[in-house]
Formats: sequence, structure tokens, C-alpha cells
Amino acid sequence: MSKKPTQNIHEYLAEFEDIPGTRVYTAARARKGYHINQFAMSLMKAENRERFKADEKAYLDEWDISDEGKEALLARDYNRLLDLGGNVYFLAKLFSTDGLSFAEAVSTMTEYTFPEYREMMLNGGRSPEGNRSIKGGY
Amino acid sequence: MARITAGVASSHVPLLGVAVDQGKDRDDYFGPIFAGYDWTREWEKQEKPDVVILVYNDHASAFDMTIVPTFAIGCGERYKSADEGWGPRPVPDVIGDPDLAWHIAQSLILDEFDMTIINEMDVDHGLTVPLSMMFGQPEAWPCKVVPLAVNVVTYPVPSGNRCWALGEAIRRAVESYPEDLNVQIWGTGGMSHQLQGPRAGLLNREWDNKFLDMLEADNDEVRHIPHIEYLRETGSEGIEMVMWLIMRGALGKKVNTLHRHYHIPCSNTAIGHIVLEPADEQAVAAE
Ligand SMILES: [Fe+2]
Repeated sequence: MSKKPTQNIHEYLAEFEDIPGTRVYTAARARKGYHINQFAMSLMKAENRERFKADEKAYLDEWDISDEGKEALLARDYNRLLDLGGNVYFLAKLFSTDGLSFAEAVSTMTEYTFPEYREMMLNGGRSPEGNRSIKGGY
Repeated sequence: MARITAGVASSHVPLLGVAVDQGKDRDDYFGPIFAGYDWTREWEKQEKPDVVILVYNDHASAFDMTIVPTFAIGCGERYKSADEGWGPRPVPDVIGDPDLAWHIAQSLILDEFDMTIINEMDVDHGLTVPLSMMFGQPEAWPCKVVPLAVNVVTYPVPSGNRCWALGEAIRRAVESYPEDLNVQIWGTGGMSHQLQGPRAGLLNREWDNKFLDMLEADNDEVRHIPHIEYLRETGSEGIEMVMWLIMRGALGKKVNTLHRHYHIPCSNTAIGHIVLEPADEQAVAAE
């Protein structure tokens, strides 16, 4: 079996910040967004979805989420939620509560409307050219 | 003796399950995707595997952030289709093989892979979509399934190298099982896709095909691709492809390619599918 030297965790994590338009779900984000993600998971239960829909603010107040986090959730500001440690697989429970398809919800994080986003995907998706590295610009 | 007779890799996009369940799989949008699986469906009817070791990831269905196991093996009797927010997929229950699964779990732990054991869970699209792609819509799935769930969401996820080595250990475990079983191993997820942030929608046909070439090669270079390369080149969710390396590692050094298919797009994702068989009988004995 091949042995490689263990990678330094600080260098490993630092590289993630060099990817344009991307928040890698690191331990730091997982910790910061823990309650946002667990709130989203609670929407797996029909009774919770109903209570949330009846009074979103009151339901959110039951959770240990910052005011900023609650605002972002109420506004469905998914890029902001990624910054606050939300992860898209958990936030997807909020997409489905809203009756939104995954692709439509994803499109709200981009510069495009949903029809424009769909068009981009049909034309082969977003090119990796210039989208790989902030520092390197390639 | 049980044997691993083939490895299959496939994307597991949830929309593919919707297409099957709603009978849209031959329309203009999905037709070209499903046509690439016709060969495999016929081949599976002839191969008749007894068991599939199905490597996949859970997408916040069975696991939330309470517990995040890196490698977990299902040792239960059966698994139900998970409700992912749109109601459970109308597919048969997945039947486990607890004897084989526990044998693999025990062997892996002795082989220094510290597995998490799961006795009860629901399985989401990550597991049921590949079954639909390979077997269509039968009354009951034609084989038993040993689920192997990998964390590819919370970083660090396991390295490609570690995934490959786990595949090698799975092969040793299977080959030390006394029952005469035809076992396949499937790696699922990928290929390039990004579901989050302003860069969402990234696809990379060129890199994906290079990855497929590397899987076909008679060497193990693909295990050394670092996480940062998957992230830069294939989008934040392209990292799911490390799960394909568990499949590939279980096949030994040399493989024959039986079938290969690639299509862009399916919703946010590039579809990739490959069927490989081990070509090097001595790979494990030589360890
Ligand atoms: Fe996935």
C-alpha cells in the first residue's frame, strides 16, 4: 500500500478559500451553521413544516440561531446562509418546504434567473475557465 | 468463495429517480441519458449478481449533523426509501445481507478500517437512483444490497487514496467469505457539479473524461488526485467521485472496460457511468 506524508490541515483548509464563488463546508462552517442546518432538518417532519409555515418567525425563535441567521432564513438569502455555515443538502429541506425545485433554488445563488440558469445548463453548464482559482486567475 | 465480479460507477442525480417514477425516462430530455444505461440493464440480467456493495452518500436523509460517520456499513435486514421532503420514492424495500455485511465489517476493522455499523436507516436517492438506473422498475430488487455510506459533505472527507485502500480491503473481505456469491461493487455520485454559491452550475466535460480514462488505466494514479483538484475542476459536489475509487480499488490493478457513457446535463449535473471487470486475478493474493 502506498504511503504519502500526512497533509497539513492549515494548508489544506487555506486552499479552499481560493475557489471563486464557493463555500466549502468545512468543520468551521459546520460548527457555525449547526443550528441553521438542524433547523432545516426539522422540516423533514410534516407537523414542523406546518408550524413553520403558520408563523416562520415564531418557529425560528425556538432555535439557537443568531438574528442575522434568522433574517437570512426569512429572506431565503442562500448565499448569506452559506456564509453563516448553512449547507445546501440541509437547506434543501427549506427548498422543498417552499415547493421549489433544487435547480431553481440553486439558481437564486447565481447571477442568473432560473430560465437563464436552465439555458446555461443546457448549453453545457458554467465553464471552469477562469473559475478555478482567485489568486491564479485560471 | 465469494468473488467481486464487476464494478459499476454511476451518477445518482435525484431527478433521474423522478424521471423513472413519473415515466419520463424516454422523453427528449431524459432519453439520451437513459439510453446510456440500456446496455447495462441487459448485462445485469445476464450477470445476476447475488449482492451489490453499494457505495453512496446520504444527503441529509438518514443522517443530520448529530453524527457524521466517515465510512459506515449497513448490516441491517432491510431499508426503506427515505422521505427527502417530496415523499418517499415508490420503489421496493432494499433487502440487506446482514451475514455478508457483518463479515465485511469485522474484516475491515481487523484490517484497520474503523467502520461505523448501521443496523437501521432509510436510504435516499444516493442509493435508490443507481438501483433504478441498473434494474428499471421491478416488483422487488433482483439482488441483496450492502449499503456503504461515505461522508462527502463535511470536510475533510476521506482522501481518494484512503477510498482506494478501503476498496482493496473490501475485496479481501469478500474473498474470505465462504459462501459462493457473485458480488458487484458500485461507486455512485458525481460527476462534475456544483449546487451552491455564485459558481453553481459548473460542469467540466474534459476533466470528467480524463477521470474516466484514469479509472480504465492499468495503474492507480487516480487515487492521488487531491481534494482541491476535485473542488477547483469539478465543482463543490464533484468530490462525490472519491466514492468511485472505493469501487475501483476493489477491482485490482488491471481492469477491462465493458461499457462507458457520459452526458451533459441532467439538471445541475454531468452524468457519468462506467462498467469495469477485474482483469488481474492475482491482485489480492500478491498484496
Ligand atoms: Fe449525491
